[in-house]
Amino acid sequence: MLHTKTRDAVIFQIGLAILLTIILLAILIPFWRVIVTAFIPLDIYTREGIPFFLSPTKWTIEAFKQLLGHSLFPRAIWNSVIITLLGTAISLFLTVPLAYGLSTRNLPGRKLIMTLILFTYLFSPGLIPVYLLITGMKLTNNYLAIILPPAVSVYNTLVMMSFFEGLPEELKDAARIDGANELQVLWHIILPLSKPILLTIGLFYAVFFWNEFFTPILYLNETNLMPLPVLLRNILISASFNEYVEYDAFSSSSLESLKAAGVLITMIPMIMIYPWIQRYFTKGTLVGGVKE
Amino acid sequence: MKNWKIVLISALLILSQILAACAPAAVPTEAAAPEPTTVPEQVEPTKAPEPTAVPEPVDITLWAQVTVTEAGAPPDDWVAYDIIRDELNINLTYVVVPTGDDGEAKLNAAAAANDLPDLLQAVSANNDNRGALKRLVDLGLVAPVEDLMPLMPERVKTHYNDPLLISLVTFDGHQYGFPEPPPLPKREGFVIRKDWLDKLSLEVPTTPEELLAVAKAFTEQDPDGNGKNDTYGIGGFINQQGLGNRFDFITGAYGVPGVWNFTDPANFGLNIRNDKYPEALAYFKSLVDAKVIDPDWPTLKRDDFRARWKQGLFGIMWEDFAALTNKSNYEPFDTNFPDAEWIPVPALKGPDGDSYYGVDTGRGQIFAISQKAVDDGKAEAIARLLEWMATDGYYLLGFGEEGKNFIIDESGNISTEGLDPVEAYTAPERQPFTQMRNQLIFYNSEQEINARYPSYETINGRTMEPMKFLQFFQSQPWVDGRGIQVILPPANAADFDRFYNEGMLQFVLGQKELNEETWAEYLAGLDALGAADYEAAAKQALIDAGLLK
Repeated sequence: MLHTKTRDAVIFQIGLAILLTIILLAILIPFWRVIVTAFIPLDIYTREGIPFFLSPTKWTIEAFKQLLGHSLFPRAIWNSVIITLLGTAISLFLTVPLAYGLSTRNLPGRKLIMTLILFTYLFSPGLIPVYLLITGMKLTNNYLAIILPPAVSVYNTLVMMSFFEGLPEELKDAARIDGANELQVLWHIILPLSKPILLTIGLFYAVFFWNEFFTPILYLNETNLMPLPVLLRNILISASFNEYVEYDAFSSSSLESLKAAGVLITMIPMIMIYPWIQRYFTKGTLVGGVKE
Repeated sequence: MKNWKIVLISALLILSQILAACAPAAVPTEAAAPEPTTVPEQVEPTKAPEPTAVPEPVDITLWAQVTVTEAGAPPDDWVAYDIIRDELNINLTYVVVPTGDDGEAKLNAAAAANDLPDLLQAVSANNDNRGALKRLVDLGLVAPVEDLMPLMPERVKTHYNDPLLISLVTFDGHQYGFPEPPPLPKREGFVIRKDWLDKLSLEVPTTPEELLAVAKAFTEQDPDGNGKNDTYGIGGFINQQGLGNRFDFITGAYGVPGVWNFTDPANFGLNIRNDKYPEALAYFKSLVDAKVIDPDWPTLKRDDFRARWKQGLFGIMWEDFAALTNKSNYEPFDTNFPDAEWIPVPALKGPDGDSYYGVDTGRGQIFAISQKAVDDGKAEAIARLLEWMATDGYYLLGFGEEGKNFIIDESGNISTEGLDPVEAYTAPERQPFTQMRNQLIFYNSEQEINARYPSYETINGRTMEPMKFLQFFQSQPWVDGRGIQVILPPANAADFDRFYNEGMLQFVLGQKELNEETWAEYLAGLDALGAADYEAAAKQALIDAGLLK
């Protein structure tokens, strides 16, 4: 009986390993292909297409040079950094007190506030009212037009609220007994214990703002305010329409290489951040999602 | 605990600095638009004798797409802004509108907010610029412009000289748009690998049967001589409805190119009503059955298609002249096959003597003036600006400054000879300064085209002349299908198109037998989706626009 149980467990483990390997390959193979595509020389691409393996001696950074060497690139990346940092900071600044307030069970009108917040989650006002609001506030050509509308994500607020609710009430009570007001409780007790959720939600916001693409097109009319995703899109559009660009001044790489390089360039900052906060990330999402 | 606070406070301090840094970043943008307050200082010296006579400069905001999206808009210190301000008394703000869905969304959002710019390009994600203009007209957001035409005599002569294009922007008897000349009409064509023909001792095909024979030889007789069975006769991909316009040279040989029957006004309707259409499909199916066409054609994307001809995968295709012959586009192919040569092929002659090359839809950019601008008294200034763009400002906005960015040689051609390569109008660095060229400036003069598509030497010393290809393509028998721009899609366009496209593919791929009965079923299916109403509405739209009697 024990033998059968062990054998079943081994089979289960093997099956699980196979399944996970398949999932891993399903992620890795396309990613590998993106990497090869980004580094493939134009002559090999036009002669053979995109091979699965490319000899390391033949790799070229031409596509990266074309993208990174663009005169607008430094400005675009700076714009993206500002939008991401500022957006994340403002979002956290607004989300933390909201989530903390809502996590307080005896908050007067808590249900009503929750309903109103959920209402905005379920029913979006749509593009036009937001556009009217932004233009009415004279925020055109201002980063705040990109940052303020999505500054408080209902989903992120709920996750954070759930985390706060999971913190022992006794800690807060102890602080209150010592004379701390709610802001002091939040500042001295809650926040130091909330690194995982702050980093997790911060990452959510950072990724959102880093990839933000449509609203800059809508509200930023100046080229020197455009963030990186908009510039990359413009370069790719130019490359794909190069038959209409009469002069042979552009595209020393294939369109596919430029696309792949663009994907990698936009991924790199987030990939670099992720390992630093991975342990918090896992903890944050799990703790935020489970309540006792 | 203490560390945590220090980190947090430090982060807040840093962010506050960034926030502070953020504000000045926006300031130049507001200063970017020529500030009215700075104008008197710049205008006064030139108008010194009568300073009080200088009227207030007119602020005009222009929303338009750019020619080279990656290059961005012109910088704030662009000399053209100064000239426009000094000579025309106009403060111009040029805002770049993105291409595709994003551009349409931007325009629609501004329209919904009644916040349209003064002069705007009617942009549409699906290239239906007239439809985009019509929506703005229906909303009362753009103004009639026929009264402005006499204020722009030169521009009318060079840009707005086609009555058909004018009729496309005319609604209820009023002209609401400025129809810019289409960017090089009839620029695509049918080409074949001459080196493959020569190797196999074949002639250029002139009929569908000969095309099949040549394609078969290209597929089976190793035309590239590499000892491998790795070539196909024909390459292509589906672009637009049905089999797409890239195979119109085949359906054209049966007298039914394109979706609509523009060849016989008395019997205007969908081409599929014509008995010759199933014949054309049967012929196409014979190409598929003979395996002489790149089998990926139904799913291939344009860029993949282009990569394939550069890889020497097929020897017969339909291609844009510049995509084929421009130095930057041709170079990879030239590197792979220096001895290869593409030549243009005349329209095929079908079994009944029909011979059409393709359908010229002639879609160009359309500009309009917002009602708000007219109400603010800016209409005359806009006309002044547009006229200047076609006269004194033409070279500046199209090529740059003469002597610095371009020269005009003895033959009257635009040239960059002897100029600093970085300053030449063709240099990447100069692209932001000529961004309006394809939208508002160029009108396809010979001088322009010669400058835009120069000849060059291939690797083996042959002279490649893009203009020769263009001229050849344009000389072919095209169907005038410009009226398609007034035809609005049916309400159930998604269902209709799906049935139309999938049915046609099923016939040519052999997934559905093609005979009288199945064809009648196909037509009945389309009728059930409102094909007859669609045709009637299309006909009425053409009649209303004066394009069909």
